[in-house]
Amino acid sequence: MRTRMKEYRARLGLTQEKLAEMVGVRRETIIFLEKGKYNPSLKLAYGIARVLGAAIEDIFILDDKER
Amino acid sequence: MQIKWILIAYAAVSVLGLMLLLSRENVYVVIALVIGVLLLGHRELWSLVKYRRMPVIDERVQNNLTGAMRITGAFFFIASIVLILLLRFNVFKGTPTSLIVSGQLVIVGFVYVTGYYYYDRVRPCLGGKALRWLRICLITAGLCLSTMAMAIVLHNLVSAWLGFEDAFFFILGLLVAPAVLLISLLGCAAIYIKGLCASFSGVEQA
Repeated sequence: MRTRMKEYRARLGLTQEKLAEMVGVRRETIIFLEKGKYNPSLKLAYGIARVLGAAIEDIFILDDKER
Repeated sequence: MQIKWILIAYAAVSVLGLMLLLSRENVYVVIALVIGVLLLGHRELWSLVKYRRMPVIDERVQNNLTGAMRITGAFFFIASIVLILLLRFNVFKGTPTSLIVSGQLVIVGFVYVTGYYYYDRVRPCLGGKALRWLRICLITAGLCLSTMAMAIVLHNLVSAWLGFEDAFFFILGLLVAPAVLLISLLGCAAIYIKGLCASFSGVEQA
């Protein structure tokens, strides 16, 4: 799964630490999410999308073979 | 606030004291416990020292803890059965029971720490191919262990029934299976360490 979290985070000028604090997770979790190495729960994905002011499908993009 | 910290310090000192009292004959258990706590809780300790608060236990950490507990539970169950069988056949003749039990607990703790780091660092940093090889190595190691046990039993049975020393199961159980087991375990360790050392920027692609 690809994510556009980094792009949206940069637009808002948020650090990984700040975003982690706002979403209620650890910074490492944000790192793994940005690298596409962790699949978040729907609740977490929704929380991140809300903080970043975008829709879930704009931030988390499933590759064709993962669908 | 001050009372909270006094209570935490009191609890920590009590636990350490209890550990020392309980295992004054097996000091290595205390050392292993302290190392285990430092390995598992270094982020929490660092956060407490630096920010004066506990870090969040988020869903990823919860998943890692659950996964590690599942592995440890299964290992503890199998290890206990093996240990009971070994004790039944007097394999540890003359060894104090406390030493055997503490040894088992230390190994279980090691499995827990290894399992946690597998979920936390190794699995996300390894590609699909490496994970497949890790699974193959682990299955091979498990098969080798069961082959060794079966071969020893069959060697004794065949030797007793046929009245001559059986060579096939002897070589299989004491030479071939341990050699393959060693290779599999080395393979597992190499893949695990590779995953552990992989930096986030240089992760393999699945």
